[in-house]
Amino acid sequence: MTESYLLKNLRAVRGRAYPRLIGSTREPSWFIFDVILPLFTIAGYAYVYKFLDARAELIGYVVLGGAMTAFWLNILWSMASQLYWEKEIGNLPLYLMAPISRMSILAGMAVGGLFETTIQAAMTLAIGAIAFNVVFSLASPVMLIVVFVVTMIALYGMGMMFASLYLLLGREAYHLSALMMEPVYFASGFYFPVKHLGFWAAAGASIIPITLGLDALRQIIFPGGTEDAFLSLNTEVALLSGLCVVFMILSRYALRYMEYLGKTTGRLTLRWQ
Amino acid sequence: MAVTNNLKVFKDSAWLGWQMEANWTDPFLFLTYSIVKPIAGTLILVLMYIVVTGGETANAFFSYMYVGNAMYMFVAEVLFGVTWVIHDDREHYMTLKQVYIAPMNFYMYIMGRSAIKIAITSFGVFITILFGVVALDVAIDLTSIDWPLLALSLVLGLASICILGLALGGVSFLTAKHSIGINEGLAGVFYVLSGVVFPITILPTWAESISRFLPVTYWMEAVRRGMEPGVMRELADTSGYDVTGMSNVSDLTIMLYLLISVGVFFALSIGVFRIADYIARKKGKIDWTTAY
Amino acid sequence: MPHAVETQSLTRIFRPKKKKEGSVVTALDSVDLRIERGELFGVLGPNGAGKTTLLKILSTLLLPTSGKAYVAGLDVEKDLTAVRERINMVSGGEISGYGLLTVRENLWMFSQFYGIKSKEAHARIEELLARFGLSSKAKAKVRTLSTGERQKMNVIRGFVTNPEIVFLDEPTLGLDVNAARAVRDFVMDWVQSDRNRTVLLTTHYMMEADELCDRIAIIDGGKILACDTPNNLKKTVKMNTTLTLSVYGLGGINGFDNIPGLNSYTSYKDVESGTTKLRFVLEDESCVSEIVSEVVSKGSRIMSLQKTEPTLEDVFIKLVGRGLA
Repeated sequence: MTESYLLKNLRAVRGRAYPRLIGSTREPSWFIFDVILPLFTIAGYAYVYKFLDARAELIGYVVLGGAMTAFWLNILWSMASQLYWEKEIGNLPLYLMAPISRMSILAGMAVGGLFETTIQAAMTLAIGAIAFNVVFSLASPVMLIVVFVVTMIALYGMGMMFASLYLLLGREAYHLSALMMEPVYFASGFYFPVKHLGFWAAAGASIIPITLGLDALRQIIFPGGTEDAFLSLNTEVALLSGLCVVFMILSRYALRYMEYLGKTTGRLTLRWQ
Repeated sequence: MAVTNNLKVFKDSAWLGWQMEANWTDPFLFLTYSIVKPIAGTLILVLMYIVVTGGETANAFFSYMYVGNAMYMFVAEVLFGVTWVIHDDREHYMTLKQVYIAPMNFYMYIMGRSAIKIAITSFGVFITILFGVVALDVAIDLTSIDWPLLALSLVLGLASICILGLALGGVSFLTAKHSIGINEGLAGVFYVLSGVVFPITILPTWAESISRFLPVTYWMEAVRRGMEPGVMRELADTSGYDVTGMSNVSDLTIMLYLLISVGVFFALSIGVFRIADYIARKKGKIDWTTAY
Repeated sequence: MPHAVETQSLTRIFRPKKKKEGSVVTALDSVDLRIERGELFGVLGPNGAGKTTLLKILSTLLLPTSGKAYVAGLDVEKDLTAVRERINMVSGGEISGYGLLTVRENLWMFSQFYGIKSKEAHARIEELLARFGLSSKAKAKVRTLSTGERQKMNVIRGFVTNPEIVFLDEPTLGLDVNAARAVRDFVMDWVQSDRNRTVLLTTHYMMEADELCDRIAIIDGGKILACDTPNNLKKTVKMNTTLTLSVYGLGGINGFDNIPGLNSYTSYKDVESGTTKLRFVLEDESCVSEIVSEVVSKGSRIMSLQKTEPTLEDVFIKLVGRGLA
């Protein structure tokens, strides 16, 4: 790989990330829809715990989980189904015709989406924490950053893989994304410690990076987080790092294969399937 | 003549909705999809309950929570569906402008698309409740169901959701297509404020006051009284206080409140839709694209 | 230097996933083409003739079922990145980019996918915006553009990357006369300004193909039926040229009988206006001057004169057996 090829691809990443970065600021309605309204779902679950007279950490978990749903929604609706969407609005052929790696387009989407979503999630977390008097106890800021970063790389790697797999889908794309909302909220333990699903179920759900990421984050930022942990923090970080590599490789192969398949069948640029 | 035309629009848009919702896959997969999604949504709550209580589901509060959560699917799915209709027609199929300028009642078009969503969701709600009764000891006794109350409350409640959907449809004209946003969020408002999975009395006083204006609050209460009257009595007895905040209100009065709030919301929704529609035309947003 | 585009027995067949979804379609059937560098080459054909399929294969978006295709001497199936560095494509009515970006941002974004430095990209964007009279729209959001403005922006997108070979798929589709003219003028200037530049244009507008293209291939049912310059294509039509004159004060018509090269003629006198309409069918176009001399020698005044020659449409009808409309 020559340096110029690398530079070209970095420019492509920047190019594709740009609409994502600028997009939300151009449509200020995102603050209400992506920050304020999700707080109601959080409030719903938090009040359930309150009514059940649950311990304070569980309400904290709900606030954290609710904030993290932004990332999962971003993966489903703005990563996985994005290439399908780009096909429908006519951009996909232009992306595929460009002399750069397709991974750069996906990476651009991911970087832009991650940045935008991190802001949303942080705001949701902050407002939720204030509203429900959530007590944080940050044991290790460095570890927090490490966990967040590996979780996001693995998660967006998974999103890139999904984007490739969705490439040839028609309307199934929308339904598939819709199908992966509640079941994943459940399996990944967005609103309760995942260890309560039982070891094997939790282990199975750990293929979704946010499962381990959430569990690790709970251990780092909540006083009693380690008691609700599924695995030790170090194990989770190691597994998440492994998932980063696995999903990056898989997404690369998936994209190459699906593009080949699309070019063979002629469905790559076929709209309104 | 107008009625005939409106019914035809309703029927045709419901047919279109069915094609959009269901014919993307084979019937078996569609059936699986229709079951997995609601069951998973319910299991979140079940697990939360188990984490705190240790797993004892054979009690009044669990049944109260479970049924409320199952019925809430109507709210979530219809509100989600309506927003999606506007955004998908506008930015994906790019047919919104053609539909909009067609000489038909646009309200009926949205209602038709919503109706099919209700039909599909009904199946999910039924499966969820069946799952609750069979697997989780949810206390629903067919012999003690107050069928007239249940039927009437279902009709009024579903009408109220469609009406809310109408307002949301109007607002969707003006909103960008964010990751997902408005539908989930607005449905969340009702989740918190309408006594869906916990009684409204646990809310702060100001929030409880808002709850008492929402049709979904009375719908939840009426549906529960119709579907699980024993649970509602037991809840009132065991709590030792007016836990739902409506224990002393008669069924008739609840239905009256529901009717009034549906009427008020109907007027509000038409107003919101018209204003949003006017602004959309003024700002040229009927056929804009906002994806990024 | 290799051809700009070369295809050898290029065939593309589309098979439906299920039988009920339709029948097998042969979109391209053994297409052999050679397009030289510096050419503005047209592919003329009705909807569904295979034009877009050809462009999709050449632009690396679709694989052929059989045969080979080369762009700038590079195999479109194997040398993907090298081909892509040299090409770009613009389609008529395309909706590229994102509606909430400005025109400038949108163009810059696409330039980044070709690895162009921002400074260089911006300079080219400004130059092209000015060329298309779109400078005042640089800060306008894409979704606010008119159809013509949007298509001009699309054309700029295709050329801002400084490609060697541009594929234009019905680029003036749906444009008004002025916008279409602006696009055609630009394309013509662009290809003529550098002998290394090539344009492959697909269209079903006869006039556009005739006006712009050095050579034209006529395609129907996936087959190339003819390929030549517009003039040579017209010569293949065995159709006599006709000359129509409107004459005032014509005394008699006897003198036309002995003019060599004249096949036949008819006349119609409009008593009210005093004019006579003469229609001559010519075997040899050199007899036009003798016809005119004969009319003038009779003391008549020529009010109007119209010569009708074979058009590309006649060529198309002859080859395909039906018109384009």
